[in-house]
Amino acid sequence: MCNQPFWKVFSEHPDCDLIKITTNGAVRNIKLGVPVSKFSEAVDMLKKQGAFLVTMTATDKRQQFGIFTVYTVFALPGENTIIELKVVLDAEQPSYPSITPLIPAAHWLEREMKDMFGIIPVGHPDLRRLAVHGDWPEDIYPLRKDFAANTVVPRVTGKLEFCSVEGEGLFQVPVGPIHAGIIEPGHFRFFTFGEDVIDLQAQLFYTHRGIEKAAEGKHYADAALVAERICGVCSASHSVAYAQAIETLAGVAVPKRALYIRTILLEMERLYNHIGDIGNMCAGIGFSFGISRGAMLKERLMRMNMRLTGHRYLRGMVIPGGIQKDVANTSEISSELKEVEQELKKITSIMLASQSLVDRMRTTGILPKEVALALGAVGPAARASGVKRDLRTELPYGAYADFAFKIPTQIEGDVLSRLNQRIEESEQTFAILQQAFLHLSEGALAVELPNLPPYRTAVGYTESARGANVHWVMSGPDNRIFRYMVRSASHCNWPVLPLCVPGNIVPDFPLINKSFELCYACLDR
Amino acid sequence: MTGKLLIILGQFSFLLLVAPLINGIIKKSKALLQCRRGPSLLQPYFDIIKFLRRESVVSVHTSWLTQLTPIICLASYLVAGSMIPLWQHENLGIGDMIALTYLFAMARFFLALAALEPASAFGGMGSSREMMISSLVEPVMVVGLFSLAATAGTTDINGIMGAGQNPAGLLTFIGLLIVVLAETGRIPVDNPDTHLELTMVHEGMLLEYAGRQVGLLHLAAMIKQVVLLILLIHLFWPQNPNAPVYVALVLIFAKVSFLGLVLAMIESALAKMRLFKLPELMAGGMAFCLLAVLSTYLI
Repeated sequence: MCNQPFWKVFSEHPDCDLIKITTNGAVRNIKLGVPVSKFSEAVDMLKKQGAFLVTMTATDKRQQFGIFTVYTVFALPGENTIIELKVVLDAEQPSYPSITPLIPAAHWLEREMKDMFGIIPVGHPDLRRLAVHGDWPEDIYPLRKDFAANTVVPRVTGKLEFCSVEGEGLFQVPVGPIHAGIIEPGHFRFFTFGEDVIDLQAQLFYTHRGIEKAAEGKHYADAALVAERICGVCSASHSVAYAQAIETLAGVAVPKRALYIRTILLEMERLYNHIGDIGNMCAGIGFSFGISRGAMLKERLMRMNMRLTGHRYLRGMVIPGGIQKDVANTSEISSELKEVEQELKKITSIMLASQSLVDRMRTTGILPKEVALALGAVGPAARASGVKRDLRTELPYGAYADFAFKIPTQIEGDVLSRLNQRIEESEQTFAILQQAFLHLSEGALAVELPNLPPYRTAVGYTESARGANVHWVMSGPDNRIFRYMVRSASHCNWPVLPLCVPGNIVPDFPLINKSFELCYACLDR
Repeated sequence: MTGKLLIILGQFSFLLLVAPLINGIIKKSKALLQCRRGPSLLQPYFDIIKFLRRESVVSVHTSWLTQLTPIICLASYLVAGSMIPLWQHENLGIGDMIALTYLFAMARFFLALAALEPASAFGGMGSSREMMISSLVEPVMVVGLFSLAATAGTTDINGIMGAGQNPAGLLTFIGLLIVVLAETGRIPVDNPDTHLELTMVHEGMLLEYAGRQVGLLHLAAMIKQVVLLILLIHLFWPQNPNAPVYVALVLIFAKVSFLGLVLAMIESALAKMRLFKLPELMAGGMAFCLLAVLSTYLI
């Protein structure tokens, strides 16, 4: 029965209910209601068919329908299919069988759901708090609808919980949440034996901003501004992902010119991030040539962004339905990109010819392919370990089907592979940008959106410089957002990073950390 | 007696005045090599004055050791510096090469202890790394200096002047240049400009210090750097003994600045090494110094 398509098996089952199959461009969306008792079985079957977890979230519909609902979104690679499982839970005792034992990638998503909604994933191997810290009172669940966003929550005494690692000669080294440099907060607990790291645990979510809560009840056009501001350096990918979710809800097709401009924005964003990261990785080892040339080239790209869109971080461009503002100076930018490409080639060839740089990066911070697959690592970090997963080709969105480009991968999964991965991806990005500039046709910039049908769900996603950014939206009445869930690339990769560190020495951690270049803001949304 | 005292005071004031400027020159040349404008040459003076005017904040868990260490460090580097004659004068007779090596070791000993005392995570890491590095660096330094002492037939600092001006001395120079890179906390051994606590060595030991004391420790580190560079010049590129005092001082300043430029170039061309690869670097330095000793006796 496994050979049959999954949804057929389940839609014929008397307890299940096939809600809807729609197609969105080349991608098919399947929505399926599954009873709690069948949930594990359904997930297991999807896993056996090779589906990977995209996002997982819950909604509180107690006021409307007296239920909690858990939505789990999978993608079937190679079949251009997105499957959304809907599980209805009891309002009084919300719990369901945890899928983390089957799919470790759900680990943080389920813990976050427990913190935010009080929904218990029964059988989850690690139910410590994640998104709320020890000083948060019990039984207050901020994403439930009866929690007002302006509630002042009393602080209680509590402490950080770590899985203890003990032994003779083992030391704990607490690092952060406040660091010596100007970076975002995160607490890292190293368990070390001399300089060797035996274990590393991270406590994050120090600056959780309640962005998902803030978006609830907003008109979808206003929530677009929120989406754009989740993260500074991922503005374009977040705003496009959100806009795509809204457009799927509205059932409209975006004009071709808008799609091409979005592609240009997304790829410009990837480029300045990748080049900035290439330079930043050199900062982890004090290699000043790479630091300064990377920073200069990144600055040049940001100034090009400014000339192209009027904003260095590409904000104020994307709206649900298309593009708000046309791009300027396109021919000039596209010829300057050729110069940037040559410059990057020159810089990276000098960098990679430096024995002292290669020596530091090779075999440092290896992410094994099995770990990357099991924990659902995304983006350049996963591809550097040989996981060929890129949403631009896996589930084509926007105009990506029109462009010829390759998805490079590496084998070793060490810091050097992640550097090479970014270099090779940048080469492909130059190719995409040239095609997009060349074939940028005249036409409308945006379409009017009809009213959104209430209480429908849609998922929008982009492959950002760090990996898949997935935005899941449920509409409410009057074109408002009922529930908004952002699963950023950093959300997927933060749990992976600490696993690459044991076996290395303490002073190599900053380099490993920079090679992932994860974003705290994308996590603390 | 008063003459000697005046000479020592003169050396002290030269070191105190010039050390921040040399640091400024190294910083500025590194910035220019990296296409940056960089801070003003005088910035290290401003920084030190700023720190010295601030009150110090000290952990309640510390003792006299933390209070005293900055002064011990500064004093031992100044005394070490005053042993090397900057211009032609009578031997002060306050110590030889061995005393100089141990003055450095004393400062390091106190600094490592003081970094352990507040029991912060980074101080301990800095101390243990510093001790590991110093156990590698000191043998190289001693063997290098002894190879020159073997040529000169004395460990007296005045007598050893210019002892490196022969082919064997070139080998020693390479060995001692590696020592200077390590002792001044520069790439590839340590990174003086990093903000990454986990990679710090020397800076890690200073993290718990604030205000006046951190100013003294920064000043001490700059003086140590100048003393080491002056020592290199004294051994390998000596001054004309008959030059008047002001010419000797200007010359030594120019030579130290030139060596600072060399350090800046080395730092700009390399990445920091893996911590556990440092023994290999130091073994290289040791090999050069040992070859120098051998060739002194064989040739």
